[in-house]
This record gives sequence, structure tokens and C-alpha cells, in this order.
Amino acid sequence: MFPKNKAVLMLLALATLGLSACATDVKRVGVEEVRDLSGKWNDTDSRLVSEEMIRDALSGGWIDRHQAAANKAPTVIVGKVRNLSHEHISTGTFVKDLERAFVNSGRVDMVASAAEREGIRAERQDMDLNASEETRAAQGNEAGADYMLMGTINSIIDASGSEQIRFYQVDLTLISTKDNRKVWTGQKKLKKDIKAATFR
Amino acid sequence: MLNVSSFVELSSPFGFLRFFKALAALSFLLFLSGCATYSAGFYGVENATANRDLVGAVKSLDDLKLSGADLALHHLNKATLLRLQGQFAESNQQFDAAKTLMEKLTAISVTEQLASVTVNDGMRAYDGLPTEQLMVYSFLSLNYLQMGDVEGAAVEARQFNVKQGLIAEKHPKAPYLSGAFSRYLNSMIFEASGGDDLDTARIELEKAREGYHAQNARFPVPAGIANDLQRLRANRAMPSEVTFVLHNGLGPSLDEEVIRVANPSPGEHGPAMFSLAVPKFIKRAAPVARVVLSAGGKEVQSEMVEDINALAEKSFNDRLPVIRARAIARFVVKNVAAQVAKKQAGDNQFFNLLADIATNASERADTRTWSLIPANILMARLSLSPGQYDITATYYDEKNQIIGTRVFPGVTVKNAQKTFIADYFLNPPAAPKAAR
Repeated sequence: MFPKNKAVLMLLALATLGLSACATDVKRVGVEEVRDLSGKWNDTDSRLVSEEMIRDALSGGWIDRHQAAANKAPTVIVGKVRNLSHEHISTGTFVKDLERAFVNSGRVDMVASAAEREGIRAERQDMDLNASEETRAAQGNEAGADYMLMGTINSIIDASGSEQIRFYQVDLTLISTKDNRKVWTGQKKLKKDIKAATFR
Repeated sequence: MLNVSSFVELSSPFGFLRFFKALAALSFLLFLSGCATYSAGFYGVENATANRDLVGAVKSLDDLKLSGADLALHHLNKATLLRLQGQFAESNQQFDAAKTLMEKLTAISVTEQLASVTVNDGMRAYDGLPTEQLMVYSFLSLNYLQMGDVEGAAVEARQFNVKQGLIAEKHPKAPYLSGAFSRYLNSMIFEASGGDDLDTARIELEKAREGYHAQNARFPVPAGIANDLQRLRANRAMPSEVTFVLHNGLGPSLDEEVIRVANPSPGEHGPAMFSLAVPKFIKRAAPVARVVLSAGGKEVQSEMVEDINALAEKSFNDRLPVIRARAIARFVVKNVAAQVAKKQAGDNQFFNLLADIATNASERADTRTWSLIPANILMARLSLSPGQYDITATYYDEKNQIIGTRVFPGVTVKNAQKTFIADYFLNPPAAPKAAR
């Protein structure tokens, strides 16, 4: 009797092992852990751009110059960051990082972008109809931006056989909305050597 | 006369085991050849598409359950159907999946290579003809353009440039792989993108013109190229226009052609005849000879911008010597393997017959193609002042008879921008395609 039970148990154990091999395997990893799977633009590239741009933008001297001239913190709006690269890259990741760094530094004010403010304006119009007088936000009190953040991502790919050299260049610029002067430009370059597998 | 009794005579356990192992190997060979079916079921997909039942076509395609070695074909055909349905974002997801898969498949699989010289060519994962690989980028771009996403289309245009370079490096004697149409389309994308891309647009136009000349001396270079080049060189703004693209007919299909080869030493060394299965190129006629695009009291004639049938035929002819060489290698390998198996099975007559059947039955040509790729692409460009228009596309056959009319209501034309619209026209397929 016992050997038969043992055999059943062994079969169950094997079946469990077999099923576990079919299940999706997920494990949490640190956001700073570098994992390159395809060689294409990934979270690590975005983070490297963010770090460089934040460091450069906050130490560039344009904030102090604006503060001295206008006696107030500069106000920035996020404009278009054009993707001129070979990949469908989401520019929102590093732009949001930069925006967060500006706000948290307490030295730069940010205003809603063109896309974001549509929702705010719709809400304000809704308040006109539905919110109480004391809590209603009045129209026409939006803060204007002193500078617009614009930029581009460019890439160059040199490919032969199964090897590729991918070069990325991210350029960000702060342009005065008053007179089109460029008060800060940041740049980050990344280069990757990718060798595809010869056999699979 | 078959001596079945010799099967029963395998009385010793050792002899029976050897016979059983050899029989299992044969069964496996037959099983593999049985798995490799593709084109037999495709008639339903093509017929539903021709009848503009695109939902039914997608269902028929899904029912085929193309997976494993045929997965790229599933993505390519589904992407095409979704594009024809106007589901551009979903179509691009499928095209992207096909593109990623085809990139992975450039790496060599030893198992597949071995299977292709021992069983048949259908054992190799389908990675698309070079012409098909290039067309993926154009359809991705067109989908983005029809969604109004010029930046997304420009990304595909840049990727095309890298891919075309790699394909040209791999096929230096195939100038027809210049991707002339894709470059023509890319020039429109880069011009729409503006800024520094204007110079790229001019370069793409020049490359497109060279490409059209190189891919087929008789193929007329679209007149739009000369006009665009003139305008870009003069630094004039892009006119407002509707750009119409027609998926015309269906691209080529492949049938199986069985070549019978006489066995130099029949009898003990196999049957009198051996079969080599190779694919045969079948060009399918494009139903529409020309399109007249009209709106706002203006009309314009279409031009053929890509002859996919002709390019696919050249690509097929270039591959054929390699396909035949592999078929001959298979013939040798299978023959040797069959003789060894026959000896292992104790030269049993019943087994010998089975071995000969399995050797021949497993020999199947690889008839896989991107079935829903059009036979050619027609383009008509109609300049219009900014505004809203009902655009009419009238289709004429070779006898100058009207075979169809489509109206695109309320198409918005913006200042100095192109508005892309597309359609397809198919005649119902004549008969089911032969099984691979």
C-alpha cells in the first residue's frame, strides 16, 4: 500500500514541478538595476539622461540670473521634445524627472503644459457652474511661463551583419517666452555596442 | 507481394525492439510532415477579405492557429487585415511583433537547419522574404500617417534605412531590394516632419529615383518624384493634398511542384523513383489597372508605386537554386537514413514499404508566403485647398471598365499637409491553394 501512495505522491510532485515551469515568473528588481535585453533605448538610458540633465539644469546659473533680474523664481512650461531617433521613445520619462527636480528644488516654478491645462480649464469652467462661490477658482488667473523647455532626441545607427553601434544624443533647451533667448542648454550622449546572437 | 508474415516473425525481443524503434522514427517523420500545413486553409481568409468581410477574415486567420515556425505569418497577415479594417494602432502592434520576430530569426537555428535537410523546408521558422521585410516598414509608416502621427512614421522611415542597408549588404547582387517605394513614402514623411528632415526628404527622393531605375528598367519612375524634387530644391512649401494608397489584389502564392527523380539503384536501395518537392511561383493578377481620384471638381490619375509581384518573383528566382540544392541534400540524407532503418528492422518487407512511403510523404515544398500582401500598390495624389471633401476613388480594369467606386466622406485637408487615405480591392480567389 505504502509504495503505491509513494508513487502517487511522486507523480503529484512531478506534476506540480511541471505546472510551476509553465507559470509566469515575476520578481521585483531595483529601478537602478541595469538590465539590457534588446539593446534598444530602455529605462537605464532614460535615467542616465535624467540624472545628467537635472544636475546640469540646477547648477547652470540661469536660475540665479533670473532671480536677480526679476526678483522671483523662474516659471517654466514643458513644450515639445521631438523624437528624431530610430526608436519609438517616450520622452515623458526624463522630462517628468526634470520637472519633479525643478519643483522639489523650490527654486523653479512649473506650470501645466498645453496638454495638461486643457483638463484644468475644463474643471475651472465646471466649477463656475457647480462649485460654491468661496471655493471656486476664478478664470484668467493662470501663471504665465518665463521659459519653455524644448528638446530633441537624435540617434545614429551604424550596422553591419549582426553588430550595431547605436548613438543617442538628447538635447534640452530653456527658451525665454519673452524674447526667444536660450538661457540653458543641456546635452547627454549615449553610445552602445550591440552584438546580436549568431545562433538561437 | 508484401510479406506481412515477416512482421510476425520478429520473435526475438531484441529484433522486435529494433523494429519498434525504427517504426517509431518513421512515425515521427510522418507526424512532422503532417504538422507542416499552411496554405490549404488560407482560401477562407482570402475569400472573406475579397468579400470585404474583414471580421470573418480575422476569425478564419485565427482559426488557422499559425504558431511556432509559422508565427511570423500570423502576425504579418493579421496586421494586414487590421490595417484594411482601419485599426491602425492594433495593426502596428502586429507588424511590430512580426518585425521583432523576424529580427530574432536572423540568428541561425542548428535544429531547424538540420530539420530542413532531413524532413522538409517547412521545418524552418518563416522569417519573410527580404522584399516582405522591407514592406513591413512601409505599412507601419502608412498606419502612423493615417493616424496623423508623422513622428511615429519618421521613426519607421529611419529604421527602414538601417534595415535596407543590412539587406543590401547581405544581397549585394540584388538591386531590386533598394526599397524604392519605401524611400518615396519616406520622403513624404520627412518633408511633413520639416526642419532638418527636409534635407533628408530630398536625399530620400533621389535614392527612390535611383532605386526605381535599379529595380526594373521598364518600371516608370512615378512623376510625383520629379515634382517633389523640384519643389524641395526650390525650397517651396508642401502643397495641401490627399494621398490615396490602394492595396491592389493579392501578391504571389507558391504551389508545390514535385520533381520525380529516378533512383540509380532501385530495389535494395529504395524505390525506383524519388520525389523532390520544390515551390512554384504563381503570380496573381492585380484587378485594378488605374484609379481616378476626384474631389472639389478636380481629378487625378493613379501611378503604380510598387510592383510587389515583380519584386517577389525576382526574390524567389534568386532563392530557388538554394532551395533545389537543399532538396537534393534531403534526397541523399533521407535515402541513406531509410536504408539504415531498413537494415535495423531486419529488412522486413512491410517496414521497407512504410519507409519508402514516409520518405516520400515527408518531402513537402515550403509554400509559405505573406498571403495578404498586395500584388502592387497604386498611389494617387490630389492637390486641394484646405477644407473638407468627399473623396471619390474610381477603379478601372485593364479593359477600361469601371469595376468599383469608393467614397471617403468628410476628409479634412489641412494647409500645407498631406492627408493619407487607403483602400484595397481584391477579386475572390479562384480556388483553394494546394496544401504545402
